[in-house]
Amino acid sequence: MQLINRKKSGVRKIKKIAPALAAASCSLLSVASSDVLARGEAGTWDFEVASLFYSEADDRVMAAEPVFSASKTFEDGEVLNLKAVFDTLTGASPNGATPSAAPQTFTKPSGNGTYAIAAGDAPIDDTFQDTRVALSASWLAPINRDWEYNAAFYGSKEYDYLSIGTSGGLKRYLNSKNTALNFGLSFSFDNIEPEGDIAKPLVEMAHLGTSDSFDSTRDGSSDSKTIIDALFGVTQVINRNTIMQFNYSLSLSDGYLTDPFKILSVIDETAGANFGGNLLDGNGNNIYLHEARPDSRMKHSLYWQTKYALSNGDVIDGSYRFMLDDWGINSHTFDFRYRWQLGSSYLEPHLRYYMQSEADFYKRYITETEYLAGNLQEATADYRLGDLDGMTVGLKYGHKLDNDTEFNMRVEYYLQTSAGDEGFGLLKDQDLYPDTRALIFQIGYSF
Amino acid sequence: MRFLRLAFVIVLGSIVLSACSELGVKPWERDVLARPEMQLIHDPVEAGLDDHIYFSKEASSGGRGFGGGGCGCN
Amino acid sequence: MDHLTLEFCLTKLNLSSDDNPANHPAPTLSGSSKLWVGSFQAMASDCEILMEGLDETQASRLLSIAVKETWRIEHKFSRYVSGNIIDRINRSAGSMLELDAETASLINFSEQCYQLSDGLFDISSGVLRKVWRFDGSDAVPDDEQIHHVMQKVGWDKVSWQAPFLTLEPEMELDFGGIGKEYAVDRLVLALQSEIEALAKSDPNLKSAFVANFGGDLACSGARLDGTPWVIGVESSEHNQTSVATVSLSHGAVATSGDSRRYLQKNGIRYSHILNPLTGESIIDAPHAISVAAPNCMQAGMLSTFAMLHGAQAEEFLEAQTLEHWVQR
Repeated sequence: MQLINRKKSGVRKIKKIAPALAAASCSLLSVASSDVLARGEAGTWDFEVASLFYSEADDRVMAAEPVFSASKTFEDGEVLNLKAVFDTLTGASPNGATPSAAPQTFTKPSGNGTYAIAAGDAPIDDTFQDTRVALSASWLAPINRDWEYNAAFYGSKEYDYLSIGTSGGLKRYLNSKNTALNFGLSFSFDNIEPEGDIAKPLVEMAHLGTSDSFDSTRDGSSDSKTIIDALFGVTQVINRNTIMQFNYSLSLSDGYLTDPFKILSVIDETAGANFGGNLLDGNGNNIYLHEARPDSRMKHSLYWQTKYALSNGDVIDGSYRFMLDDWGINSHTFDFRYRWQLGSSYLEPHLRYYMQSEADFYKRYITETEYLAGNLQEATADYRLGDLDGMTVGLKYGHKLDNDTEFNMRVEYYLQTSAGDEGFGLLKDQDLYPDTRALIFQIGYSF
Repeated sequence: MRFLRLAFVIVLGSIVLSACSELGVKPWERDVLARPEMQLIHDPVEAGLDDHIYFSKEASSGGRGFGGGGCGCN
Repeated sequence: MDHLTLEFCLTKLNLSSDDNPANHPAPTLSGSSKLWVGSFQAMASDCEILMEGLDETQASRLLSIAVKETWRIEHKFSRYVSGNIIDRINRSAGSMLELDAETASLINFSEQCYQLSDGLFDISSGVLRKVWRFDGSDAVPDDEQIHHVMQKVGWDKVSWQAPFLTLEPEMELDFGGIGKEYAVDRLVLALQSEIEALAKSDPNLKSAFVANFGGDLACSGARLDGTPWVIGVESSEHNQTSVATVSLSHGAVATSGDSRRYLQKNGIRYSHILNPLTGESIIDAPHAISVAAPNCMQAGMLSTFAMLHGAQAEEFLEAQTLEHWVQR
């Protein structure tokens, strides 16, 4: 027989809870139905706008680059991203020639004039004033629980340069999504149509106002290249706080890979007053040769990244990349970030160290002997293919206004130092490898 | 010689990776990894801007994914 | 005074079959521009929206917004829909789930109610229905059955770190205690914002409405002539005819009662309101409690809490200094 008297719950202490309950219900309802969907939730758009400002010392390159990115996640986990990037570039860039004890006059790459460089100054070409627009669209979608695919299209246009491309990839999850295998393939077609047409490889720069013919140094109004990239990667969850990624990439470029705006100085080896100075042509003008690069390039990269979360919520991010190519360049990139969480804000110091070895056909200058022998196939004095080290130090600050909104800004300092053949004679008195120093500033807002 | 060294690295990498099947977490232990700042590329806009800077200033590019095409700057 | 009953088929009301996953009968709109009555079925209740000061197009638009939102909430949080978030939670078998923002905010609210009520309100107590079947019979569970099911009851056994939820295996969550009130408050917000939008093109528009989901009510304000809405509230004694009426000129009223679900054994009426701390039915609870509060969720919680106080219900309600009605 069951007891009729159940345990009495006892007399409760009566509390006044109405005000607390009012607050709780108001906060639940104050979130409007449409706001209730947060970032990454199906059906909403997430936006990010940012602007980068880049400025090099010594009147060199300055750029402003605003970016607009919009992402939408759909019901079944598909993600669409649309991005627009605008790029305005002004300022000067080294043209590859060596500085000289005497003033130098260069023909503008467009053939519409000349520009002069004072004695001892670094030869920089400031005829660039370029605006670029780039648009891209990408799509990511699951195929089933274990497979995912992605596809993207890209296009960018400057007044003399067009680039279009497409990429696709597959991702395979294993081990309860602890491991992800990544495969990607991308194809890109670039076309350059410089204002002064394409220069013949290693042709002598024509001096305007002389008997030199500008047009005879030109070979076609445009040229193109195709680039195929393949990526194989593994992402692996190590433990609750650690995730790693290993990638191998292969990149094949084919076509016109030369920089049509760069030249090399030819240096006099004749003993005498001009030993180490610029070699002069019949008209008494300096001889410069337009650079030429191979028409193909194969690059291999190995990339390793680790992210580790500390128990206090801080995150450490470190990566290393090794690159090797058939131009003889190899490089190492070390990147390290520490995100220091401060409630709804964070501070993130950043350190990056880069070192590269010079390309086989990199030459700071061409000697008289080499010039007269005339059997150089490729040569470039572009410092970006030389032996250089780059160090970046930066700090980023971010503040989350709410779950979906963040404001951030970062300041970085980039110092690049180059090294190489110091020259001989008069050339030794010149600074052949000036540092490149740049200040980077970026502000961003995501909502 | 260079390519022999590269092949060695790839083989070593594959051995390391095959050991990876023992690593990982249970689905309910994914709380930390789910945080946005733990994504490998946490801010793709910033990553794209950085890639563009270093692509135009150095001889190496990419490595961690496909960026977004070319420009006339290198 | 024309009373037109217009049976709208779903498409006319701008609703598709996607909006009506539970296959409820079509909503109806009857009345005239003096007073429109929109009726529909949701959450096992007869739902009504009374509207004044609108023309037929506006009234049917408001009704379709109200119906859509109610059916959306019903489908999302109903225990009977397979594949929705509640179903996934209840079948999660101990694994962690990441919840969307709306579900997370409801869980947060439920957790606050758990704390404010010292554990008397607990959304993990739904599994108690496995031993307590309120069918008017005398099948009251014994101590052993209750003890066994109580292993799977208790918010203290839930790991909640928004937005990540982990239940122990065989635990379940049930939003039945707050679902209707939440829907009423949401639709009031939706209708108010729609009226604001309508007023932009028609600045002279003056309207008033009240929503009544089987005893859970909320209004936009008093009627256009300044008098309160007088709504019949189901009585516990007679299921068919209304006896008690509620006058509402602002805010909301919610009712908790045992009118249709109870067990009766040996002269003791076991109400369907169960104490999550003991697993037992609340003894000496009033037949019905109605509480008035600024919004329906608050009113609903207070009436539920009052019921959980059993014999002390009136004392509890007096302490809250809100208008209330108790039927014993």
